[in-house]
Amino acid sequence: MEHTFDIVIVGAGGGGLFAALEAIRTDPKVSVAVVSKVYPTRSHTSAAQGGVNAALGNKDRDDTVELHVFDTVKGSDYLADQDAVAYLCSQAPQVVRELENLGAPFSRFPDGSIAQRPFGGTVKDRCCYCADKTGHTILHTLFEQCLRRGVKFFNEYFLLSLEHDGGECQGIIAMNMRTGAIETFSAQIVILATGGHAKMYWNRSSNAAGNTGDGQAAALRAGISLKDMEFIQFHPTGLRKSGLLVTEGARGEGGYLLNRHGERFMARYAPQKMELGPRDVVARSMETEIIKGNGFDSDAGSYIELDLRHLGAEAIKKKLPQIRELSMHFEGIDPIEEPIPVRPTAHYSMGGIDTTMAKTAVRGIYAIGECACVSVHGANRLGGNSLLDILVFGKRAGQEAACEAPQRKALGITPAAVRRAADEIRSYASHERYERYGIIREELGRTMGDNVGIYRTGERLRQGVDAIRQLRRRFRHIRLYDTGTVYNTNLIQILELKNMLDLALCVAVTALERQESRGSHYREDFPLRDDAIWHKHSLCTMGEDGDIQLGNRAITMGMYPLEARSY
Amino acid sequence: MKFAYFLSCINESMTREVDRSIESLKKDLDIVLFKLEKGACCGGSNLDYVSPEHFLVINGRNIALAEQMNLDLVTSCSTCLLTLRRAKQILDSSPDKRQFVNSFLANEGLSYTGSSDVKHLLWVITEDLGLSRLAEKVTTPLTGIRFAPFYGCHIIRPSQLLGRDNPASPSSLDLVVEALGGSLVEYPSKNKCCGFHTLLVAEKESLAMSGNAIESAIRAEADYIVTPCPLCHTALDAYQPKALEGRRVSRSIPVLHLSQIIGLALGHSREELGIDRHMIT
Amino acid sequence: MERREVSFRIQRYNPQVDQTPFYDNFKIAVEKGITILRVLNHIKEQLEPRLTFRAFCQAGICGSCAVRVNGISKLACTTQVWDELTGGGDDPILIEPLSNLPVIRDLLVDIDPVIEKLRQNQGWVVPSIPEEKMGFKEHAVSDDEFEVINAATDCILCGSCYSECSMMGVNPRYISPPVLLKTFRMNNDTRDTDGDERLRRVTADHGLWDCTHCYRCVEHCTKNIPIMDGIHRLREEAFERGMTGSEGARHAQAFFDDTRNTGRLREVTLPLRTKGVTGSFGMLPLALKMALKGRTPPLFVHRIAGIERIREIYRKLEK
Repeated sequence: MEHTFDIVIVGAGGGGLFAALEAIRTDPKVSVAVVSKVYPTRSHTSAAQGGVNAALGNKDRDDTVELHVFDTVKGSDYLADQDAVAYLCSQAPQVVRELENLGAPFSRFPDGSIAQRPFGGTVKDRCCYCADKTGHTILHTLFEQCLRRGVKFFNEYFLLSLEHDGGECQGIIAMNMRTGAIETFSAQIVILATGGHAKMYWNRSSNAAGNTGDGQAAALRAGISLKDMEFIQFHPTGLRKSGLLVTEGARGEGGYLLNRHGERFMARYAPQKMELGPRDVVARSMETEIIKGNGFDSDAGSYIELDLRHLGAEAIKKKLPQIRELSMHFEGIDPIEEPIPVRPTAHYSMGGIDTTMAKTAVRGIYAIGECACVSVHGANRLGGNSLLDILVFGKRAGQEAACEAPQRKALGITPAAVRRAADEIRSYASHERYERYGIIREELGRTMGDNVGIYRTGERLRQGVDAIRQLRRRFRHIRLYDTGTVYNTNLIQILELKNMLDLALCVAVTALERQESRGSHYREDFPLRDDAIWHKHSLCTMGEDGDIQLGNRAITMGMYPLEARSY
Repeated sequence: MKFAYFLSCINESMTREVDRSIESLKKDLDIVLFKLEKGACCGGSNLDYVSPEHFLVINGRNIALAEQMNLDLVTSCSTCLLTLRRAKQILDSSPDKRQFVNSFLANEGLSYTGSSDVKHLLWVITEDLGLSRLAEKVTTPLTGIRFAPFYGCHIIRPSQLLGRDNPASPSSLDLVVEALGGSLVEYPSKNKCCGFHTLLVAEKESLAMSGNAIESAIRAEADYIVTPCPLCHTALDAYQPKALEGRRVSRSIPVLHLSQIIGLALGHSREELGIDRHMIT
Repeated sequence: MERREVSFRIQRYNPQVDQTPFYDNFKIAVEKGITILRVLNHIKEQLEPRLTFRAFCQAGICGSCAVRVNGISKLACTTQVWDELTGGGDDPILIEPLSNLPVIRDLLVDIDPVIEKLRQNQGWVVPSIPEEKMGFKEHAVSDDEFEVINAATDCILCGSCYSECSMMGVNPRYISPPVLLKTFRMNNDTRDTDGDERLRRVTADHGLWDCTHCYRCVEHCTKNIPIMDGIHRLREEAFERGMTGSEGARHAQAFFDDTRNTGRLREVTLPLRTKGVTGSFGMLPLALKMALKGRTPPLFVHRIAGIERIREIYRKLEK
């Protein structure tokens, strides 16, 4: 089947939905389709618990956009582009109010204004929230408003390839998962909003099963570069057994991190901010405690305790209900009674598709949110800035796309491209193939955790790069066992694994290349930040041979000069 | 054992055999029931749509009448049970609402304090009397008779308000049948809805619900359906011919009240228990 | 760690090859603490790559993985195997797709009907602030006002209540619990301006008044949302907004009136008052048969003892 739209948005998380909504609001005449591999309300935006940052000044009256910019730039370890950060933070109050105006339920202060709470790495309390279901409520609000506006949804379609003619967008090829049919979406504008890729760490990741970087991989294969891929954020507080996330809000509300001596060890690492230091610092501090033998031992590995008990039953029930539920379901622990066992878990990919204010190098192809790298998060993202990122750049992309689409004409997708996609899928079912999906995926997760984890060295990274290359070779023999066409999840798993393997190589190669420590990227063999050589973005492109080629780009500075980063 | 007994509208009219059969059991079971003659219709989960205040005051008063006698309040209608317990939960958790309700009760010398529990007859049998004592009193065991126990909704759901049976697999009525010497059939409808509450607004759909329950009991080769709720009884008995229209079933199936199967096991006659009043006999 | 062999009986159906659904059995060693979703993943990766189900966040917030476990709709990711063992652990655990929704393959159902009903019933806020003024000013909402809808905003649209609903089982056109909950959530949002229209839609045929209040939706809500409270509130709202013409509303009004008049429901005229003269005509044959058995409700209901007290309460409340 062939579809034609002015604007096709791939991904139906908060970013994709806001882009769709905004495009229609900007110009009701443009045709907009949202193509998503999951039902919109399943998207991973729903898992963002803690909140969204905006200098509304409802809590700290003296908060300003400039302070928000400063916190973000410092949090990024000066790798973020300051023009993009300035835009992000300056738009924040408006975009949060707009979301509120559209019906997003926020928790409130007694005066009826949107409540704000402290979050990691910030000098003011500016995180707006709805209990600990902020992302969930934002996602549902945007979905509701898209329904209201008659946005056309293609749910459960898997992105196969991104098409352009070398300089101009043509559209996408996707598989209708219900029928197995390969369908084309011809469009003047494609907005990629496919979410992050931290699931490549698998069990050592807080991410949803589908956070496999489908848009990033499609862009990479379409010749578009990826930026700052070495930067993967480890969230300090993943549940011990599952890696599932305990929101930073738990520390924002006053939770303690304790080692097995009952010590609030953050006093030694970030004496000012304590548990509310930025995520990279807290995660590394916890990992150091565990390595030094100060963690609690268990069958599921060593862990740190997150103690909420002193907050009291009432506060836990009211402000952190999801966390309580999660702890009970997955650890069998009620945080009112006992501390929660936690350890760092791969959580967010700062790197992604190289964009300048949401636009890629190919005319008409945009990328927003976690799949993109603008870059506003640099080497380390602040809690509460990811929801902000999808809202601000989702909105901007929608607006710009609605303005740009009518000025350009549809190019259409070539039959050769469709054939290529179909041939690839057919090839997986060949009886000569023998590698199993589960085994390769398991080894990828282990390699990423062991060799490309929180603490990195040149030697381990080299081993990691080799291992991933080896896994990519083995992938060529992967066997598709399910040959049906109706909702073939076996095929989807294989396509997702291919995406993760390509992106994993980018992460490992760039991590090996960057011989310094900055933000989430910590090299034991190069423990210091080295601005003279490494104050620059890394770029990856995929060569004809499928291997990764590296490049660099200068960082856009602004109000805030380089400074040592301490908390 | 003494209880205040709530008079349900349906047992005062269409299913008069319920209270009649309970009357004939009281002595055997050593239960004394003081009829709440001054009690008013609970509103059948309808009154509060028109006015939540009326619902609270009327039912607060109903329970306060039992409190005045220092007795727990028993009903043999599941919807009365749920409605009264809903009011009770609201009043027990809100001093303001208690005060509001009591302002209407004062000139009658009544006051709602929350001291009386609200129970179903089934719970009195299983908890206050106890199954072993019930079994001891059996004179005519229901040996060889196969029962399909139909719990209905408002005695098991919401469990948060009722809290006896597990709504996914209720067992109290099963245990009563066994104590009386009867046997049970496994069938999928025991915790399903009879459709009674929408009979007048969505008759076709309600009849489909009751028809599903009746048909599955027949297919499980039960001799009788037994239910603790007169509303379920009406949907399953009085409406049975209509509910079975167009269904391929070989026969109809009689539906007995909880009080009637106890009566039978205790040696009372069908006539005494009002079984002949049923539409399907 | 406690470990045991557990049998899983899983409903399978691939429309391309199967005439009708069938069941597959898998016996695997399971550790205590393992969820149903981890079992499904294990089976798919190790034993049967064709087994088809949805799963995404694995943390109980995305709503993808709802299935029926031992007959009850639940999220596979938050359901512990140990909690589902029956028969001393020897009975197989039954895993089936949700009810009341078309099965696409195996455990995977089509939830488009839910979304379509949300669309038809305006499951969104229609804000009071005009488009061009958005983003400049917050609505003031008190914490108490937020608290009214707080629980309802927990809904993850997993479809469990839709699957459990008694009315859905017999009428696919029925509005359904999640849509009623969403209507409640919108109509009680102080920022919304379209409550009348939304309520007009949901009180149409197959709507609000067709709920049998069987409480299955509440009992099996995966987020413990008191869905019936929302439905109750909407019915109250129908009266507040004067939308009392429907059969359901007239039915409720009859209870209100009878309690004042006699303290008892006057069942004999209830059909007439609910359905009107023509509407209740079809009930005559049944009424005649019931009369022969002496089951007809009395024409004139005895007033309860001290009915004056009830009337006094009514008079006082009306003030």
